[in-house]
Amino acid sequence: MTPPVDESIGRDEFDTPAEVDAVYRTQRRIAIGYFAVFLGGILMIPVATLVTDWWSGAQLSGWATGFVIVGAGLYLFFFALGVGAATLANGVERRMLGTPGDDESPEPDA
Amino acid sequence: MTIDVAALIAVMGGLLLVSLALAVRLRRASSIDFYLAGQRIGVVTNALAICGDYFSAASFLGVAAGVYVSGLDGVWYAAGFAAGFVPVLLFVAAPLRRFGQFSLPDFLGRRLRSDRVRIVAVAVVQVITLSYLVPQAVASGITWKLLVGRGPLGLDPYATGVVIATTTIAGLVAFGGMRGTTWTQALQFVFLMAVLVWLAAAVLGNGFHYTDAVAELGREPLRNPVVVDGQWQLQPEASELQPQRAARFDQPGARYSLVGQMMLLITLMLGTAGLPHVMNRYFTSPTGRETRRTTVWVLGVAGVFYTLAVMLGTAARSVISQVTTVPPWLGELTVDGVLRIPEHALLVLGRLSAGSAGLTVIAIAALVAVISTMAGLLLAAAASWGHDVFAFVVNRRATQEQVVLAGRLAVVGTAAVAAAIALRLEPTSLSALFPSAVATMVTWAFAVAGSALTPVIILSIWWRGMTASGAIAGLVTGSAIAIGLFFVALDQPGWSIASLLLTPTPIAAPCAVLVAVVVSRRTPVPDDVTQLWVRLHGTASDRTAERLARLTIRGVDDRGSVR
Repeated sequence: MTPPVDESIGRDEFDTPAEVDAVYRTQRRIAIGYFAVFLGGILMIPVATLVTDWWSGAQLSGWATGFVIVGAGLYLFFFALGVGAATLANGVERRMLGTPGDDESPEPDA
Repeated sequence: MTIDVAALIAVMGGLLLVSLALAVRLRRASSIDFYLAGQRIGVVTNALAICGDYFSAASFLGVAAGVYVSGLDGVWYAAGFAAGFVPVLLFVAAPLRRFGQFSLPDFLGRRLRSDRVRIVAVAVVQVITLSYLVPQAVASGITWKLLVGRGPLGLDPYATGVVIATTTIAGLVAFGGMRGTTWTQALQFVFLMAVLVWLAAAVLGNGFHYTDAVAELGREPLRNPVVVDGQWQLQPEASELQPQRAARFDQPGARYSLVGQMMLLITLMLGTAGLPHVMNRYFTSPTGRETRRTTVWVLGVAGVFYTLAVMLGTAARSVISQVTTVPPWLGELTVDGVLRIPEHALLVLGRLSAGSAGLTVIAIAALVAVISTMAGLLLAAAASWGHDVFAFVVNRRATQEQVVLAGRLAVVGTAAVAAAIALRLEPTSLSALFPSAVATMVTWAFAVAGSALTPVIILSIWWRGMTASGAIAGLVTGSAIAIGLFFVALDQPGWSIASLLLTPTPIAAPCAVLVAVVVSRRTPVPDDVTQLWVRLHGTASDRTAERLARLTIRGVDDRGSVR
């Protein structure tokens, strides 16, 4: 049986400046948006410590809230943020650049 | 506290054998093979190798020590290390790889069409590399002196540790190149993680209860050993947030004020994106998309690593203080159940959990962490000297063999310089140096990287108007301010803001950005900036690489089906 011919063989890949500029602006928005969420998530903890006494005394399943959030919760937050940002950024590039159908077998993004 | 020397020698010998085996395979390596492992490193392997690069002794012993000595503030130290990869993912990883170059100076040189930028960046990279490399060499000497306590042929034990670590790792990197180093770093990190998992399981198996321990440690004021009139004694730590109150283990303030905590976080966070040995790894990925996936893996693995390290620091604080019959070796290391040197936390925990075998395993892991990081740093130095200086300045017509040879010589030379500096820094009093000087020098590397390289790299990726003159001005400004503030802090330790100046990135990086932008606005951008932009933010190179990979796999499948 003859294997299917890959239509992309012999085709030179290229992006036009206009396409790339559109992707660049979208990616910049994504990066800044996710970075704002990242900074907000980190800053929220020390700010909460300063502005409210409740935070310092609060317990979460027997844990001091601040300790469990910084000791484990932040890593989950970073990971979730990373999965979301990588999936979105790769998806945007796939949709906005290259000929549709280039990716025969799309892989999971992250 | 001494360990099995034979086990240490076996590990070092094993690493050398691995490097020699790889050397046979790579004896005719091209420069792409030697510096970039052929740009074919897979996502998981590269993520593990990045972790091997990144998690030095400062992460393996230092995070547990930080938690041990300052509770929640030490937990923030770990969070800062992990947080650094979020900006890398968002702003740097994919565009950096798509430019497809050998090193950070090479990226800047090509993006801004300037060899002057390349040379200035090489100088900054060398400052960062040596700032990171020397404390690793010092740590290997101290570890050997503390744990083995003797050297061959009348050699001082500290010198023995420095010489063995630098020689072993220089040999591994010079022969194995990026490919050999990648595999050994990935394996070394798997070993480090396995040791942490084993120790955590052993501690939990012995009845340690994490939640109860944190609650119990938080009930009492946090007290640490200090020398008063020549005598060790425990003193409560005052809270930096509320000076009238004593610090507690599960609350912030034992070490940092709010501003100090933020400055440390920003320094660690921005520093990661400018660390040459970590960022050079991104050039070994096949595509920009793969670098994003790699970074997500790093974030996941780092999270597990630091969660365990934090738990073990807490366990050490709780378990060591509860030892009812204190053996003589532990009595020498503690004051009323608290370790004098917090970096001993994991080592003591290992010995309490599994005797001298446990201690040996932790000590080997600490040395593995040191040499794994040293390997990445030596490769970064090799890429800077061999590719950026030799191939671009000294001999533009150099053959591939000459460029690889230059890299190998750079590895040996840099290792020799680091060893020589480390030997001159031999501490007269271990407690006086450990942990302050080692941790301080590593923080310096992060500070210079985050103050000089990171702002310029991010501007070069995200701002079309960046110019070579702007980049040079930014690099010089960021480095000068960071180094200047650092020396002021060391010179005036009594100043109330001295500890803040040891993490100068929040001051230096904005200055670097400001100067880079002002100078760039007055100087012309490269003529072909549009083409550079398309290469930086387009995905044509990714798609080509992915198509070639599909064709290769299909070719292999077809050959397999014919057979």
